[in-house]
Amino acid sequence: MVSTRDRVRAAAPGPSTAPPRRRGLLRARRRAGLLMVAPAVLHALIWIGIPLIAAIVLSFTSYDVLTPPRFIGLENFRDLISDNVFRRAVLNTSIYTFFTVPVAMGIALLIALMLNTRLAGRAIFRTAIFIPQVTATIAVALVWLWIYDPRSGLANAVLSFLGLDGPAWLSSTDWAMPAVIVVGIWQGIGLKMLIYLAALQSLPTDLYEAASVDGASKVRQFFSLTLPLLRPATFFVFVTSVIGAFQSFDQVYILTDGGPANSTTMMTYEIYKSAFREFRMGYACAQSLVLFALLLFLTLLNRRITGGDRATR
Amino acid sequence: MPPVETSHRARAGRIALYLTLSVISLVMIVPFVWMLLTSVKTPGDIAAVPPRLFPTEWAFGNYADALRAAPFATYARNSFVIAASHTVLNVLIASMAGYALARLRFRGSSLIFLAFVGALMIPTYTKILPEFLIVRFMPLFGGNDITGQGGTGWLDTWWALIIPGAVSPFSVFLFRQFYLDLPVELEEAARLDGLSELGIYARIMTPLVKPAFITVALLTFEGSWNNFLWPLLVTKSDSLRVIQVGLSVFRTENDTQWAFLMAGTTLATVPMVVLFLIGQRYFVQGFATAGIK
Repeated sequence: MVSTRDRVRAAAPGPSTAPPRRRGLLRARRRAGLLMVAPAVLHALIWIGIPLIAAIVLSFTSYDVLTPPRFIGLENFRDLISDNVFRRAVLNTSIYTFFTVPVAMGIALLIALMLNTRLAGRAIFRTAIFIPQVTATIAVALVWLWIYDPRSGLANAVLSFLGLDGPAWLSSTDWAMPAVIVVGIWQGIGLKMLIYLAALQSLPTDLYEAASVDGASKVRQFFSLTLPLLRPATFFVFVTSVIGAFQSFDQVYILTDGGPANSTTMMTYEIYKSAFREFRMGYACAQSLVLFALLLFLTLLNRRITGGDRATR
Repeated sequence: MPPVETSHRARAGRIALYLTLSVISLVMIVPFVWMLLTSVKTPGDIAAVPPRLFPTEWAFGNYADALRAAPFATYARNSFVIAASHTVLNVLIASMAGYALARLRFRGSSLIFLAFVGALMIPTYTKILPEFLIVRFMPLFGGNDITGQGGTGWLDTWWALIIPGAVSPFSVFLFRQFYLDLPVELEEAARLDGLSELGIYARIMTPLVKPAFITVALLTFEGSWNNFLWPLLVTKSDSLRVIQVGLSVFRTENDTQWAFLMAGTTLATVPMVVLFLIGQRYFVQGFATAGIK
C-alpha cells in the first residue's frame, strides 16, 4: 500500500541520486518508521486491542474473577433484555443526553456569537465560561452536591430568595435527574463554546460583506450563512458531545449513586456495578458491548444524516 | 438625525451584550466561589439556615485541619506524579508515532493509522473491565506466577496507575495532523545532509511543532489529573490514592464535613485552573485544532 504521495516523495531527491542509494534510503526510512511507531502500536495492542477482544469473548461467559470463566453462550444477552434496571439505565442515559447536549450546544453557540464581536474583556468572559471544563468532574460534582443540599445549599437559598420552595433535589425521584442534567450542561458549555468560537473566527468575511451589500439582515445572515457554514463544527460538537454524555459516570457516582430508586443510573454505572460490586464480569462485558454498539450506531447515523464533515468543504 | 440614533442603539446593544455575558460568566463561576467561601467557614456558618454567602468568621485554619483529617497533600502529590509521567510518556511515544505515520509512510502505515482512528471509537467502559483483568493477572508481578495466578499482579502499584494510560490514540492522531502540515523540502534537505531519520524527527521537524507539544502536554496533564474511575479501581492503599479518589473516599467517610471537603476540592481544582490560565493559548488552540480538522 504505497500511496502516490510516497512515490512522489521517494522520487524527489532527483535524477542525480543513484538507484541503489535511493533504495537504501527508502529502506532506512521504512525501518525508522516502524521503529518509531512500534511503542505506540504495542501499547495500543495490549491496552486496547486485547481488551476489546477479551470483552467480546467474556460477554459469552459467566465470570466472577476468582474462578475461571464458564462459557454460557448468549445467556448474558438474554438476561440483558429482561433486566429492568439496565433498561432504565439506557432510558436515563438517553434522557440525560437528549437534554444536556442540545441545550448546552444552543447556549454555547449563543455565547460564541456574543464573544465573536469586538468586545473589550472578551478573554475574561471566555476564561470564566471555560473553567468548569478544565476542572475535575469529581471535584465540581462535590461542590454541586453541597449546592443541592436541601437545607443549607445554595440552590434552595436562591429559590427561596425568589419566593420558591426548593425540592429535596438529589433525594427526590422527580428532581435528581434534572439536577444531574444541570451539572452536565454547566460543565459542557465551555468546550462547545470554544469550538464554535474557533469555527466562527475562521469564517470568510467577504461572504458577509456581500450579504450586507445585498441588504440581508443580521438575522437572515445568521440563518442563511453562519448556520450552514458552521455545519462541520456542529457535526463535530454533536458527535463528540453525545459520545461524552453517553459515558458520563463521575457526576452520578458523586451526586446520586444512581438513585433514588435507579432514577439517575446510567449505562456506565450499571457496567461498574455489575463488574465491581456484583463481580459479574461476563455480564458487565455484555452491557459494555451494548454501550459500544449504541455509540457506533449513533455515530454512523449522524454521519448519514449530516453527510459527514466533508459535506460543506 | 439617524447617526445619533444608531449609535444610541449600538450602545444599548453593547450594554445588553455585556450584561448577558456577565450573568452567564457569573453562573459559571458561582460554584467555585461557593466552594472557596465554604472552605473558610466555621461549622456554625455552614449549618446556617438560610445559608450565608460570606462567613461571619474567616476560618482559614480549615485548610491545615483538612490536611490533618486526610492526607490530601499525599493524594495531590500522587496525582502530580502520575500526571507528569503520563505527560512525558505520551508526548514522547505519541509524537514519534504521529511523525512516522505522517512523514515516513511505510508498508502498512495507513492501516496502522486507520486502526488508531478506530481505537478512538471504543468507549472507555468497554476497555476498562479487561484492562482491569490484565492488570490483576499481570504475570510475575505482585506474587503472580508466570500464568498470572496466585497474587494481585499490578493492583495497588504505580505500574497500574501509570502504564495503561501512558499513550492515547487521540494524541497520536493529533501529532500526525500537526506533522502533516510541515514542508517536505526541510526533510529532504536534512536527509541529503546525511541526518538520520530519528535525527530529522528530533532536531528538524519537532522544534517546528513546539506549540503542538505544549498543547498535547497540557491536555494530557489535565486529563490525567482529573481521571477518577481507573485509579479508583486499581488502588486500595491510602498511600497510592490520587486526589479525586481521596476526595470521594473522604466524603463517604466523613459525611458532613463540608468545610474540609471544600478545602480538599479547592486543592484539586486550583492547580488545573492555574494551569489553564497560564497555558490558555495552547488549550484553546488544542481544542480548536481537534475541533476543526
